[in-house]
Amino acid sequence: MHEPNRLMRSCRLAFSAMLIALAGVACSREDGSADLDDATGWYGSVLEKPVPKVDFSLRDTEGRPFEFASETEGFLTLLFFGYTNCPDICPIHLASIAAVMRDFPYELRSRIKVVFVSTDPERDTPERLRSWLDGFDESFVGLLGTVEQVNDIERSFGLAPSFVDPAQDSESYMVGHAAQVLAFTPDNLAHIAYPFGTRQSDWAKDLPRLAREGFGSGKAR
Amino acid sequence: MKDIIWWCAARGVEWTWTWQAYPGVWLFVAGLVVAFFRLERRSVDEGLSDASSAAWRRTAFLVGAGALWLILDWPIGAIGAGYLASVHMVQFLVLSLIAPPLLLLSIRERDYRAIARRLPDGPFRAVTHPLVTLATFTIVLAVTHWPPVVDTLMPSQAGNMLLDLTWLATGLLFWWPIVAPVPVRPGWGYPTKMGYLIAATLVNTGTFAYLTFTALPLYATYELAPPFPGISTRDDQTLAGLLMKVGGAAILWTAITILFARWYRESERGEPTPA
Repeated sequence: MHEPNRLMRSCRLAFSAMLIALAGVACSREDGSADLDDATGWYGSVLEKPVPKVDFSLRDTEGRPFEFASETEGFLTLLFFGYTNCPDICPIHLASIAAVMRDFPYELRSRIKVVFVSTDPERDTPERLRSWLDGFDESFVGLLGTVEQVNDIERSFGLAPSFVDPAQDSESYMVGHAAQVLAFTPDNLAHIAYPFGTRQSDWAKDLPRLAREGFGSGKAR
Repeated sequence: MKDIIWWCAARGVEWTWTWQAYPGVWLFVAGLVVAFFRLERRSVDEGLSDASSAAWRRTAFLVGAGALWLILDWPIGAIGAGYLASVHMVQFLVLSLIAPPLLLLSIRERDYRAIARRLPDGPFRAVTHPLVTLATFTIVLAVTHWPPVVDTLMPSQAGNMLLDLTWLATGLLFWWPIVAPVPVRPGWGYPTKMGYLIAATLVNTGTFAYLTFTALPLYATYELAPPFPGISTRDDQTLAGLLMKVGGAAILWTAITILFARWYRESERGEPTPA
């Protein structure tokens, strides 16, 4: 009598433990998103003071002038400064945004513009920049200017200017640059910045709302 | 000394094919090798070694220990720790399903009996009970693939080492009822062993589905790692889930086939099924 009871108890315990483990996996969050900022309703970092769109002009990868303010008017515009030799921040940000945008319907994708300004005009030729951006998404806009022009633009958005890391050799030098993506809503203001570490799940939640409803929708949550 | 990287971890730096030393891995594998050959030497000295079984056990040990070295050291260890979830899954399969049965097969029956004599019978029987080992395997598999656990442990050498050794220990426990001759359990023969392994092919279904069918990347460790050429984060995660299911099933069904073949051979010879 004793042995079957013990066996039954072991069976029940083992079976319960397995169920708990399997349920734990099944019930955990479907993605690895960061915590929502309850105060703002957004996954990005809400800026204390919104940054107004600056009307700058640079050449795109086809050599045409790109008037930032007029070309992005009415779009949700993600503005990011970086360079094609960047080993981590730039490719991770752009790959995340591109992956999330591929899941969006055309109607939503067509409301979003991604503008990438090179901080390394020395090595980023128009062809190199175009080919690098096409590796993420062919719709991404690549802009080029002189170091002075780009640094002035960065300052005008309240970002630190880029700089060449003096510790590196002349061939494979690194460029220090702002790591955040500024998100300009159709009201021509950037209310939110997305720092390095923003997950695809964060982009997937914020971008549709920003594009369709604007920044004001965050407070309603 | 503090600049030495002892064990692989997610470092957040661009991947390069520049060799990196992981002395912690070497010490671990060397420790296993020394322990095995000391036991072997003792059995030779005591005249207990039989040449054919010794060759087989040595082969099993060397393949098992070699597999551990291969997947813990550079480059597989480094890629799995900080760049690709699919490579981390290969490490999981080797640590929990391939190396443990080979290491257990390299132990002589006499040494198993010596282990059993030294341990208190009740707890030893309870810990190695097939239901307990299967439940432990299931729980460890689920917990150690849960994103908060992975993202907490992977960036540190100690955390990653803990994960690797937990998988190895769980694998040894999981394979114990299949390979080890002790403790003797009435009714635990080839059919029940095969049933145990068939059940094991099912317990990873939840984790497999979670990894394979979740659209967005689950692990910050891999999502925010410097890109590894040739594969996107999402494809890597899907591949990891498929490897868990298909790779795990291939290993377990190979073991089931071996057990069946041995059962058949012994039945043909008219030998009693081991209890």
